[in-house]
Amino acid sequence: MRKLFRNRALGATLVALALVAAACGSGEDSADRDGPTIVVGSTNFGEQEILGEIFAQALENAGYSVETKFQLGARDVVNPALKDGQIDLMVEYTGTLLTFEGGTSTTDSAGTHADLVANLAAKGITVLDYAPAQDKNGFVVTADTAAEYDLSKVSDLAAQNGNLVLGGPPECPERDFCLIGLEGVYGLDFKSFQPLDVGGPLTVAALDGGEIDVGLLFTSDGVIAAKGYVLLEDDMLLQPADNIVPVMRTETLDEYDSSLSDLLNEVAAEITTAELSELNKRFGLDAEDADALAREWLADKGF
Amino acid sequence: MVWPAGVGHMIEFLGDTVVWFTEHWDGQDGYLVRTWNTILLSGLAILTAALIAVPLGALLGHYRRFGVAAVAVVNIGRALPSFGIIALSLPIIIRIASHIPNGVPIFGSGLGFFPAFIALFALALPPIFTNTYTGIREVDPGTVEAARGMGLSEGEILRTVEGPLASPVIIAGLRISAVQVVATSPLAALVAYRGLGRFIVDGFAVRDNVQIFAGALLVAVLAILTEAFFGLLEKRIVPEPLQASGAALGEETVVRPAA
Repeated sequence: MRKLFRNRALGATLVALALVAAACGSGEDSADRDGPTIVVGSTNFGEQEILGEIFAQALENAGYSVETKFQLGARDVVNPALKDGQIDLMVEYTGTLLTFEGGTSTTDSAGTHADLVANLAAKGITVLDYAPAQDKNGFVVTADTAAEYDLSKVSDLAAQNGNLVLGGPPECPERDFCLIGLEGVYGLDFKSFQPLDVGGPLTVAALDGGEIDVGLLFTSDGVIAAKGYVLLEDDMLLQPADNIVPVMRTETLDEYDSSLSDLLNEVAAEITTAELSELNKRFGLDAEDADALAREWLADKGF
Repeated sequence: MVWPAGVGHMIEFLGDTVVWFTEHWDGQDGYLVRTWNTILLSGLAILTAALIAVPLGALLGHYRRFGVAAVAVVNIGRALPSFGIIALSLPIIIRIASHIPNGVPIFGSGLGFFPAFIALFALALPPIFTNTYTGIREVDPGTVEAARGMGLSEGEILRTVEGPLASPVIIAGLRISAVQVVATSPLAALVAYRGLGRFIVDGFAVRDNVQIFAGALLVAVLAILTEAFFGLLEKRIVPEPLQASGAALGEETVVRPAA
């Protein structure tokens, strides 16, 4: 616990110093960086904080004035904050956001992204380029369960109808991409459903403890690899494409020239699923700080 | 006659709640099973706390030793929010459970019962201990001296003199503790326990206000029934002549250090 605080304090001091350095250091191109402070927000889980830090620090390193407001709540809270100007920039997921905004998402990354761009442009939000990395709902079993029932794809679960317990977030029975889709698209029938948490420690503990057979985690969660779980392949393509994508208020974006959007696009292009999983694992299991992880990643990539 | 719009909505909502109660009583996820799970969790927490706090409080109260220190320690359970205790104990219990083979009842994966039990046990201790200690201690010293003079042993004094005289206060402590535990038990749903809290937590997740309201109502009814149960217990256990004053001593007593 103390180590965490020390790292946090150290990280905060470094960020403060970086801010001061950025403010003092940008000589000739400070004209490009004059504009309103960019407020970077995030929803309430680890990956969101890491991604938020990556974009916030990339902007700071390039000389922009940045403020961060992380872990604000679920999308139901942060999305309205983006629309009414309390935050300017956040990192989202193409398919899920499109569905949230009333559109129809598909498994096609490019198509879903294009639909999202059009949908949000009308609402004053610019959707930047999407990253190769995706994070979607993943149905997971332990290695032992996979071996016992010969499971590698979600459709393999149909052979065990009536035998297995599914665990996931309490809203799973009411979600198309969760239990409703598993029953409707895959024809699955679970023995029972255990309400746990949103792909978090309760789900992991329930899988390890044998209280559930199939759990819902997120595909970029590092714990899947770390625990040797088997992520069942979504062979009937129930989950839509969910590429990482930065979204920003058009009003704020317009205050700057194209180098801002270029920078955001460049950073997004470098984020892969493998790298994101590794960052998530180090955050969730090794208890490293989001800002330190982001700093290291950006340094590696030359931002 | 024109009703204001809000009243119409409220009546509709209450109607939905009544319908909910007719539809959700049965099965593993129905409120009958979940009420029993809540009673089980709360009951075990209160019982364990009582088995520790009553003897301890009685002994310390009788011998008038270490009282202030003991009350201070026990009051840590009052100061720490139950939510915090559940959150802190969860990873520890999960780690312990990972070393225990699967299928062992209660421990299981470390979720549900155990972290909630620890938090509720910590919550139940202070009122029971404080009231027992103070109740025994505040028994008229003259009466105790007289008993000693009659040749009663310390143990007999505690059992036959101090105990009955302090019983109204002790049972009040049990009552207060029990109601607090029942009312706080919905927190267990946050660590996947399948008690009445499930309706409240799941209701929030799926934005089902009727479910939230019904769950909260069930918990409130259970808390009231708990209060009534201890009222009956008081009638059975507390000696007749003391019952009237028992009502006056119904509030939890505040510990004052010995003058």
